[in-house]
Amino acid sequence: MKNTYLVWAGKVWLGLILFFLYAPIIVMAFMSFNASQYYQLPFDFSLKWYEKLGQNTEILNAATRSILIALATTVIATILGTAASLALFRFEFRGKRFLQVMLFPPIAIPWLITGTAMLIFFYGVGLGRGTPSVLIGHVALALPYVIVVVSARLATFDPTLEEAARSMGADSWTVTRRVTLPWIASGIIAGALFAFAVSFDQFVVSYFLSEPGDSTLPVLIYTSIRKGFTPEINAISTIIIVISMAVMLFAARFSNFGGER
Amino acid sequence: MSTVLARQNRLKIVSLLSPAYIWLTVAIFLPLSAMLYFSFLSDVPFGDAEWHYTSENYQAFFQTSTYATLLWKSIKLGLTVTVISVLVGFPCAYVLAKAIKGKSREALFLLVILPFWSNSLVRIFCWAIVLRGNGVLELGLNAILPFEVDVNLMFSTPAIVIGLVHSYLPYVILTSYLALQAIDDNLIDAARSMGANKLTILWRVILPLSLPGLLAGAVLIFVPVVGSFMEPRILGGRVGTYFGTVIEDQFVAVFNWPLGAALSFILLAVVLVILATASPALRRAQT
Amino acid sequence: MADVSVQNVTKTFGSLKALNDVTMHFPDGGFFALLGPSGSGKTTLLRAIAGFIFADSGSIHIGDQSVEHIPVEKRDIGMMFQNYALFPNMTVADNVGFGLRVRKVGAAEERRRVSEALELVQLGQLGDRKPHQLSGGQRQRVALARAIVTNPKVLLLDEPLSALDKSLRVDMQIELKRIQREIGITTIFVTHDQEEALTLSDKIGILRQGTMIQAGPPREVYNNPVDVFTAEFLGEANILTGQSGLALSSGGADIKLPHSATPQSTLAVRPENMSISISEPDGDEISKLPATLVRRIFAGAMATCVLKHNDNTFKVIARDQDIPDLPEGGEIWLSWKPEHTIVVPEGSVGFDPN
Repeated sequence: MKNTYLVWAGKVWLGLILFFLYAPIIVMAFMSFNASQYYQLPFDFSLKWYEKLGQNTEILNAATRSILIALATTVIATILGTAASLALFRFEFRGKRFLQVMLFPPIAIPWLITGTAMLIFFYGVGLGRGTPSVLIGHVALALPYVIVVVSARLATFDPTLEEAARSMGADSWTVTRRVTLPWIASGIIAGALFAFAVSFDQFVVSYFLSEPGDSTLPVLIYTSIRKGFTPEINAISTIIIVISMAVMLFAARFSNFGGER
Repeated sequence: MSTVLARQNRLKIVSLLSPAYIWLTVAIFLPLSAMLYFSFLSDVPFGDAEWHYTSENYQAFFQTSTYATLLWKSIKLGLTVTVISVLVGFPCAYVLAKAIKGKSREALFLLVILPFWSNSLVRIFCWAIVLRGNGVLELGLNAILPFEVDVNLMFSTPAIVIGLVHSYLPYVILTSYLALQAIDDNLIDAARSMGANKLTILWRVILPLSLPGLLAGAVLIFVPVVGSFMEPRILGGRVGTYFGTVIEDQFVAVFNWPLGAALSFILLAVVLVILATASPALRRAQT
Repeated sequence: MADVSVQNVTKTFGSLKALNDVTMHFPDGGFFALLGPSGSGKTTLLRAIAGFIFADSGSIHIGDQSVEHIPVEKRDIGMMFQNYALFPNMTVADNVGFGLRVRKVGAAEERRRVSEALELVQLGQLGDRKPHQLSGGQRQRVALARAIVTNPKVLLLDEPLSALDKSLRVDMQIELKRIQREIGITTIFVTHDQEEALTLSDKIGILRQGTMIQAGPPREVYNNPVDVFTAEFLGEANILTGQSGLALSSGGADIKLPHSATPQSTLAVRPENMSISISEPDGDEISKLPATLVRRIFAGAMATCVLKHNDNTFKVIARDQDIPDLPEGGEIWLSWKPEHTIVVPEGSVGFDPN
């Protein structure tokens, strides 16, 4: 029937898009296992680029720094974001709507603008470039994501559960710890994973805030690409992609993202 | 009694909210204000440099056509990428939301938005590998086609557009999907029971109802593309000079920060105008 | 206008038999209810008639036309959905005019017929409103106007009143019946509310697990249920199975069996047909048994009494003033006339589809 043709065409379209989205990533990963320095075919399997990577202290240092910054961002943004979400959920007060709207500029304004503005400001207050500035910037970018994800989970929470707990004599800290937090735990975990991904993948803001020679992994990759690319970059890029996709798969599991509600 | 409670509540609200919002203020809102201030300076006020207040940086934008031309070029790039992404992504979102059911839908949806959360720089680098002369695309095409072709899309506008579409396509799929999924299937059944064919249903029911989501996706693509600089640099080479790359240059190469701040602020103004125009739609997409 | 005829329709979803050899005839201009518990297949049957789903086997006719291979949009039906399914992006008038615009009747004609339809449902003034500005009852009327404005051959209603509260619901029942009579359209509606089905319809079909158990005029189905399920589903019933019937014969009970019954037959008596007295009632014809009053529940004009005889519980519904004043736990007599004893065929699901 006519209908089934349309459905088929749609599925083929979806398949093409998935191909478009994944093919270049697969090609890049593939090339990291190719011995030729100039990406020449035929394919000659080799792990030499990964071995070289293991000896490249500059890249390894940058990777360590990126992971540490991402972990610190995750901890700070998750705690601050969850606290803010709880306040926004539990209380009615003047200016609440304004505070919610304030979450959008960090997401919506291009990172080029945010990044250059941070550079100017941090220089102005004497902090300058470097890891502390990068960390402050990353937390600010990750916070709105944590608040949005945790608030979404809180929205599914029935406030009468808190009232019930209180009617049984629990004080508000006990209510939070024993009733509210367990319910939103999955949202908090998802928010934390989002925060990690935002920081770990962040390039633009890090680019303006990193000290040369003391940069994060994406910044190092960018400068290397501009010097001319080598399969070593493929190798580290492959590792990055695998890590960030794995983190996001976990986040998706916990946030019930796109699932049926 | 009630005032004590109110005070307690206020204390709780402040202690829960202030860490997050002070952080946002320090890292986002004060820097934006500082940038506005800087854009009116003649030179950076650090060290022993001479500086005074001036509007020269803004005049530079209006006096020479260079910056305006580049801004327009960036806006055109934003429109191109947005239109292509919408045309490609909306049908995809529709198939996901209405033609595929159950577990496989969830899995496919996740597959579509997963790359979006991987490193955008790395994904642009992937395209550099694919598109370069003697690259995988050329080798692949020559393996299939009976005649020799010379494909070197690298360092061209199409390369930039392809890379950006790849980066931002998942946005429009995500927002359209959420909007489409929210459309009650009964509405489609109702339209059919009144004799509407598929095209009428698409045009009169589905499109109007998913428009807020579609617009939200379009804005979410357009805004960052107008401010993009890394993608044009890597994939565009010499043709990759845009408004974003000029701003980047002011900060990392030319070190004319006040001019960079002014240009950034002009870009921010453009972005804010677009966000404000689209905000009714964005608000509706949210709910 | 047309009659609808469903013949031997079967539909399976995976391993679930949603409709099992269902046959029913819906004569032209009548008002019909499909009744059953959830999962009984009543909505599946309605959607098969509408054309949203296609039956695996069997045939469906609307008028003279066999519609098995005709999709919904070509069937010329009107349908009302449980949640009304009004287009939120269109005004009331645009919602009602949608089907007309699809049929390209022209702007003037569309306006005329939309306002006619809105008049019919008494919403003449509200054409410019958006659905979210309307109350539940008003939305319901818009949905009805939208379903009938194209003069469809048949009107299909999927639990149209279930979202309304009780009093509004009764108003809408009357309204629905009035409009249906006025335009004389064949109407089929799905409900799980037996009272609604009995009030509104000329004929009801009772489904269970995809099978049509019984179809007929409400009074007939109510008075002659084909099995215990129907007896209990349609109204309430005190069931006396053969075994308990024997047990009941002891201890002063005297139950008169109709001619068609054997001592093993299952009997049913409606609660409103039983009466209560303090002294043993007279008369040879009357069935009677002594019982203990367990509880008396006052509900305005009527009251419900729960009674016990040995281990059997009975329910009696009577006017409050007709029930003797007696404390709970008191001994009384339960009696009913022989014509109120219903003989329920044992385990039978076969019936005459006409």
